[in-house]
Amino acid sequence: MKTAEIVYNTKKKKGDKQYGVLFNNGKVRKRREWRGIKDTLYDFSRWLYLWSIMIGVTLSRGGMKGMIRYRWMANYLAVPHAIDKFTIGMRDETLRITHTAMDFVVKDVALCIKDTLRGDRRTGNDVEFSNKCVLSDENAMTVFMMGFPQIKAILREIPTMFSANIMTQYSSTYYLDIAQQFGIPGDVCPMPEAEAGASICDDFAVLGKCAVQVNTTCDGSLMGNGIIAKRLEREYGIPTFQLAAPMRHENPDVLDYAAEDMKKCIAWVEEKMGVKWDWDTYFECIKRVNQTTRDRWEWLEVNATQYPQFFGAVFSLYNDTNYMGNCGRSKDFPPINDKIMKLVRQGYKNKTMMAPEYRHRCIVWGVQPQYCIDQLYWMVNCWGVVPLTDMLSMVVEKEFCEENKPENYEQAYKDMAYLNMNMIMRNKTHGGYECLVDELWEFVERLNADMVMMWEHMSCKALNGLHGQFEEQARERGIHLVWVCHDLCDPRVFTRQAIRDQFSEYMRTVMREEPLDPTLEFMPDENAW
Amino acid sequence: MNKFAKIPLMMLGGGASVFAVLFTIYFFNLDMKFMSYCVEPILLKIYDMRKPNFYV
Repeated sequence: MKTAEIVYNTKKKKGDKQYGVLFNNGKVRKRREWRGIKDTLYDFSRWLYLWSIMIGVTLSRGGMKGMIRYRWMANYLAVPHAIDKFTIGMRDETLRITHTAMDFVVKDVALCIKDTLRGDRRTGNDVEFSNKCVLSDENAMTVFMMGFPQIKAILREIPTMFSANIMTQYSSTYYLDIAQQFGIPGDVCPMPEAEAGASICDDFAVLGKCAVQVNTTCDGSLMGNGIIAKRLEREYGIPTFQLAAPMRHENPDVLDYAAEDMKKCIAWVEEKMGVKWDWDTYFECIKRVNQTTRDRWEWLEVNATQYPQFFGAVFSLYNDTNYMGNCGRSKDFPPINDKIMKLVRQGYKNKTMMAPEYRHRCIVWGVQPQYCIDQLYWMVNCWGVVPLTDMLSMVVEKEFCEENKPENYEQAYKDMAYLNMNMIMRNKTHGGYECLVDELWEFVERLNADMVMMWEHMSCKALNGLHGQFEEQARERGIHLVWVCHDLCDPRVFTRQAIRDQFSEYMRTVMREEPLDPTLEFMPDENAW
Repeated sequence: MNKFAKIPLMMLGGGASVFAVLFTIYFFNLDMKFMSYCVEPILLKIYDMRKPNFYV
């Protein structure tokens, strides 16, 4: 079997060294982590910043009313708790990288909530603002909005379902029950099912002049979109465009069709919103997308060394926000990328590590629940297994045409279509065997990994058929393959401990290893947010 | 000590007290304890009181 060289942390870790003791079966931790004076004060400053954002959103137009009207809003009481789970055991540069990325993710989501509630007919009811908004599917690259600086894309599923689930593990259960009460089977992916549930019980904010839905990521998503579109169109009079991205996106034949559909979508938005597509803005945005891709690959190059710096759930979450929700449209992202880059280079130079030792180098693959489950940072601190990257972060490698010339416009439509087809949650799960299985082994080589953790999402049909092929090929290559079953945002099917147990069992029985921090092996966090 | 000389001292004392209170809330996770055991249950009761407008 392939083995990784063990890397020892030469720096003495300041403050707490055992993290399981912070949990006591309650909803929140007993206390926050002590990280030494300098790092604790830094963490304290970020905590103050988080509260300033939270208070800002609550005091904004429709904020207080929204807090009382919408059940999903209660999850945002837990923002500092969620940030604590992403910074467990971190010191020095890794702590600063995580906070820099998360500060921006939080700010982005806060802005989304603020805009959603401002335009919402039931709370803020700012009609003029609402008429400048296009409801955009959460499961899409917002490419079709890259040339519309005058109007706003509102991804209302983000605060309602996706980021709510990052805050608290039980955020979706109410909506899942509603959906199942109405006859949707329980074996559908809980993500679109919860969104459908929110629509059925009328818990989505209602705003915007029109909406665009995308057929990503799967059959579950299509089912959810149908229910949501029906209510939007028939009850609220919001027309909805269906942007259909081809499933076999690896096949070059499909690109022309996808580009045509993208053109139609843009023309439809122009017609409904009464605005014109602006190519100058589009090319500005695509330059930022290209910079994001270059930066991400440089971070991954650092992760290929013995001293990876930017990895784990926050790496994935930052990429999600940067590509999907933003897609080059925000001028604020490049400076944040630069700041992270500086910290990554500094951390690499200083050989900063998250744990006392790194024993294994792991690629995380499959449909991942790591945002709501603290698994990735837990793996580092408990077992010394470094999650170098994950499937969703390997989104695109190529750069797109940046030159604003009329002869490049056709290519630009194709680039937008390519980005849309390769949206984060479908560019590996759809498109065939090559991009899901073969590319995994390519990344294993490139990042010098000796282990793969395969998330097996039991309600996801996209990956289940290839289980045997993964096993067979991992065996041939001498790669440790750890299967970890979960049910995404439904913790009643697999609890956090049940998920961790599967990994621990492999580490004890196959690897014959002992945990670095035994207090983390069994953590009483089942009732935790 | 004259009145103006006391102002910086008072500001320093005030700042230190605010810092001490906020840091205690931060370190002992009192903000999250308050939110989870006091605010969230009230909000959930409010949500449960609302009759949902079901539509499929």
